[in-house]
Amino acid sequence: MKSVLFGAVAVALACAVPVLAHHSPAAFDRSKEVKLVGTVKDFRWQNPHTWIEVLVPDEKGKEVLWGVELTSPTYLIRAGWKSNTIKPGDKVTVVVNPVRSGEPAGIFRSLTLADGRVLTERPARLGTPDSK
Amino acid sequence: MIRSASRRVAGALVLVAGLAIGAAQLAAQSQAQPAPPESPLSALAPANISKSRPAAPFNLTGNWFIDNSPGIQGWLFGPATIPKLKPEAQEHRDAYLQAIKEGKVYRDDIGQCWPAGVPIIMTRVWPIAMIQLPTAIYMISEFMNSMRVVYLDGRSHTDPDIVVRTFNGESVGRWEGDTLVVETKNFTNDPHHWVDQGVPASDELRIMERIRMINNGQTLEIAMTLTDSKNWEGEWKGVRRWNRVNDHDIGEVECLPDLNEHLQSTSSKVHVR
Repeated sequence: MKSVLFGAVAVALACAVPVLAHHSPAAFDRSKEVKLVGTVKDFRWQNPHTWIEVLVPDEKGKEVLWGVELTSPTYLIRAGWKSNTIKPGDKVTVVVNPVRSGEPAGIFRSLTLADGRVLTERPARLGTPDSK
Repeated sequence: MIRSASRRVAGALVLVAGLAIGAAQLAAQSQAQPAPPESPLSALAPANISKSRPAAPFNLTGNWFIDNSPGIQGWLFGPATIPKLKPEAQEHRDAYLQAIKEGKVYRDDIGQCWPAGVPIIMTRVWPIAMIQLPTAIYMISEFMNSMRVVYLDGRSHTDPDIVVRTFNGESVGRWEGDTLVVETKNFTNDPHHWVDQGVPASDELRIMERIRMINNGQTLEIAMTLTDSKNWEGEWKGVRRWNRVNDHDIGEVECLPDLNEHLQSTSSKVHVR
């Protein structure tokens, strides 16, 4: 896992969970995880994707805007999310699979709130026992 | 007085002559314009719905979700075996495979808000609401709320000279025993319509679907046979299943102009346009 805050790099073999994307998932490197420790700039609760923008200080302290793509609210609600789970100004830690190009963007893996609660998302699957 | 009467007579003559010319022009126009085709009854016309027909073997009204339990194959239609492609289509496929090697994404037009189109719209990881009437089945994918209609009222496909070609094509179905057989054609020739990654669709695309309801009405199975003489040789066959969904209603999903501005991956350098 690569922590943007500390610059540490590690590789995690993330399982390929189907995401509810409107675009190809091939842009993301599922073999890598990046940990973003920063401040929420914006959070949009909408279809087909929910997204978060997080301001993350790099090694030199300069703030970099990261884009984080999440699944649709359908699966976030089933994982305990609400439209007001986070808001601009909140301190958060977000783990993503980054885009292969190295640009500051990734697809969501997990969110840790300031109070320690951890939220993930449910796989994009309906009509099966595990999708309840 | 006499001069005034003469003026009135002359004016009347001009008016009559004008009317005669106008009538002649209208007659000429009506001869030049062919009569419009007779409008059939709409699939939603009560007089059509209430016609006497054999009972349908099954009713697939409900919400359905692609069975992606075997993996993420539900992303696109393509079965494992792709048929022999025609040279131009093979160029696209080779470019796609090269992009994969380089960690890039080839021509992800759906991500740029182009319609997925049939058959891909059927296999996206989004539920599809289906409403079956005696005359038609209305399929609305939650993904971009794309609508597909399968007509069951005995009509033929539209005259190719007047049909409006689309990404979802025109579907006409008939019952064969316990199977619904659907033929879809009249697809667009738009270069943003794909059958699989790196495999384009053309206006020659034809799809035959054999639809069965199995597992006590909990599973929908569709066996597809695709032909497209511009893009591959012979038939391309595949079978997909959908699970019934009883705890979700489809919602409004749109690709808004500012969506991709906030999804950096869709504008990332990894994309090959």
